[in-house]
Amino acid sequence: MNQLNNGFTIFLSLLVEAMPFLLLGVLFSSLLLFFVDERKLVEKMPQNPLLGALVGSMVGFLFPVCECGNVPVARRLLMQGVPTPVAVGFLLAAPTINPIVIWATWTAFRDQPEIVVLRVVFSLLIATIIGWVFSSQTDLQPIVQPAIARYLKFNPPPKPEQKRRGKSQSGKIAGNTPSILRSGTYILGGRAGMTTRLDANQIPASEPNPNAGKSRADKLRLVLDNSIQELRELGGVMVLGSAIAAAIQVLAPRDLILSLGAGPITSILVMLVLAAVVSICSTVDSFFALSFSSAFSSGSLLAFLVFGPMIDIKSVGLMLSIFKPKTIFYLFALAGQLTFLFTLFINLHVI
Amino acid sequence: MTKSQPPNKLLPWLDVLAITAWGVLMLRYWRTGKLNLLIHPNYFPLVIVAGIFLIIVGLLKAQELWRRRRRDVITSNVQHVNFFAPGWGSSLLLIAAISGFIFTPQVFASDKALQRNVTDLLSTSRLQTRDFEPPSQTEKRSLLDWVRTLSVYPEPDKYTGQKVKVKGFVIHPPEMGSEYIFLARFVLTCCAADAYPIGLPVKLSKGQDRYTPDTWLEIEGKMVTETINGQRQLTVAADSLKKIPQPENPYGD
Repeated sequence: MNQLNNGFTIFLSLLVEAMPFLLLGVLFSSLLLFFVDERKLVEKMPQNPLLGALVGSMVGFLFPVCECGNVPVARRLLMQGVPTPVAVGFLLAAPTINPIVIWATWTAFRDQPEIVVLRVVFSLLIATIIGWVFSSQTDLQPIVQPAIARYLKFNPPPKPEQKRRGKSQSGKIAGNTPSILRSGTYILGGRAGMTTRLDANQIPASEPNPNAGKSRADKLRLVLDNSIQELRELGGVMVLGSAIAAAIQVLAPRDLILSLGAGPITSILVMLVLAAVVSICSTVDSFFALSFSSAFSSGSLLAFLVFGPMIDIKSVGLMLSIFKPKTIFYLFALAGQLTFLFTLFINLHVI
Repeated sequence: MTKSQPPNKLLPWLDVLAITAWGVLMLRYWRTGKLNLLIHPNYFPLVIVAGIFLIIVGLLKAQELWRRRRRDVITSNVQHVNFFAPGWGSSLLLIAAISGFIFTPQVFASDKALQRNVTDLLSTSRLQTRDFEPPSQTEKRSLLDWVRTLSVYPEPDKYTGQKVKVKGFVIHPPEMGSEYIFLARFVLTCCAADAYPIGLPVKLSKGQDRYTPDTWLEIEGKMVTETINGQRQLTVAADSLKKIPQPENPYGD
């Protein structure tokens, strides 16, 4: 009975502590989604693959989105013609590299500041490396879903609204995706309407800034609706995640946890699996990790915090709306291996 | 569309209910002081503001729904992320909130502390000691102050003879003899999920009651060095033990 009470107290404390951060993240991402002009952002993206991947990884500072919000944004960016490394960097790093998540991590790991710093550094490194790797794939067709490839083919993205730097942009697209543009096969119905339908978000993907013409009141109503939608989805996952964390803390045999958590390799493997299985939102995942902090090695906590936002079961479904399954597999395999290597180094040589 | 699918009319109200319930629950924990049992006081303002905001969001949505109740306006009801079937996310949130209203959070007690062995209990490695200056009058130091001081200067003999007056709850670790009790408190860094026990062994003189586990005591005495479990250990030699009520914030200093 007492166990149940303890577990329940932990469950509630995780939720109460995480809720403010979730709310903040949801409100911010909804606001920015409707008020930031992505076109301007797209134009400023560097063309150099390595630099592009790095900048893409840090765009999260402008779009504080969880891993559920970042996929639609990444897809919109891709469709507006940002280079692949930028989009991939954004996809992997945006859920971690943003002020709200960093603040939440700091809140949870106040007495281990190195975890906060390393989480940011590793996420940036891994996202940049993977973004850079993907830059070697100049032809998008084999890696993205046919619908997106078709869309890009028929809407060679930025003719940047007739006035801004049109030349450099379209020149680069032609250089980046030669086979797409030169291909002579034309598929019927491959128009913009196609992509609008498969967008999971409220904002149609085909229009860069669909809300430009709306009145302020309408915009605010959309912000409210979007916030509530995200709150209920992410909140639901958060409730499940907190329940799992509390249950493990109370029910799992102490000896098992301690022996798994102390091994430099086993602890990381366990946490990588947990990261993949527990789809908890990146804004609040540090509190989940915190409940393991007494038993698990610092490297393994880092592995959870770095890998978790990049992959989880929920985001697979979402990412299938952009990439082909093979691409997603490569993304995850690369991210998992890099995370493993980095955090193993921490476990063995640093902390 | 809304006419043919009546659940669609109720689902938005479920959202409103779940969100508002969480706002009310968080404010209620604050008003009843139970927030102390869940999170570190540093984060109270965050929870209070978030609670107010959740209620505002809930009310705004309710107002909007109420206004358009008669019209068949199709709001942008495209699902954002199709992880849950419609209604599941809100239901989970609502169930969690309701269970929060029904059950009361519990103060952690000796059974949780005893999940660790005594070596764990006596180790101070997790404590943050930066920017820390204990009161110079030793009898004003709290249990936490003592454990922190000890983690900076671990040699127990350094403290021999110093006066002690500390509060905590009683643990009877099986590894300790019957002339000892362990006086403990839990410390939170962030929230109850990271609560961990700290404390000092107390040596009782003959005839002193060991008290039952979880009894809160104020103990006065002097510091001595004892060998417990094969380790030299700073110990309080108790002159007097006084039963006290559980403090309002059992995780505070």
